[in-house]
Amino acid sequence: MTRIRSRAITRSKWFMPLFCLALGVVMLAAFWLGGQLGVGLFSLAALAGFGLFFLLAGRSETIRGLAGAGRDERFAQIDLRATAVSGLALLVTLIVTWLVQIAEGHSGHPYDWLLAVGGLAYLLAVVFFRWLS
Amino acid sequence: MKNQVRTLRTQRNLAQGQLAEAMGVSRQTINSIEKERYTPSLPLAIALARYFGVPVEEMFGDEDS
Repeated sequence: MTRIRSRAITRSKWFMPLFCLALGVVMLAAFWLGGQLGVGLFSLAALAGFGLFFLLAGRSETIRGLAGAGRDERFAQIDLRATAVSGLALLVTLIVTWLVQIAEGHSGHPYDWLLAVGGLAYLLAVVFFRWLS
Repeated sequence: MKNQVRTLRTQRNLAQGQLAEAMGVSRQTINSIEKERYTPSLPLAIALARYFGVPVEEMFGDEDS
């Protein structure tokens, strides 16, 4: 029931625009606290524009799928694969950066614990999804 | 995976969009299934078979069998 409801929310055409707006507000608050109000306002404007683009974008399947409204089982599979690829790219980047840092005589922070978080998250996800299925 | 979706759809003079709407998926998904680029989930395969009134194994078949 909850899963169906959350799927209905993420498939609403308002989900991505509102998500962008909320993220923009959070970024504004973070930059403001850090004393960079101008950058925060720029971030909010950029994300609001991004959200507006998703809201007003035409009938492109890619845009509608990314926005949520055009998401079906095939697009969910595409999304899952894209997420896996982006995760892999991030991990490879972290490993390479960490190795470069070590080779240059640095401590490897914070790449070492980011890698640890990534590895641990992967292992926990494998255990969880194995238990779930 | 080989399938008879296009054949059955055209036999009933249905547009891809009409079938997509009936199945609750996008028109592009129906197109991908017909072009055998995407293998549908079991629930969608069953829904398609029921929609056309044919057994699933008649609608979807292994290329090698």
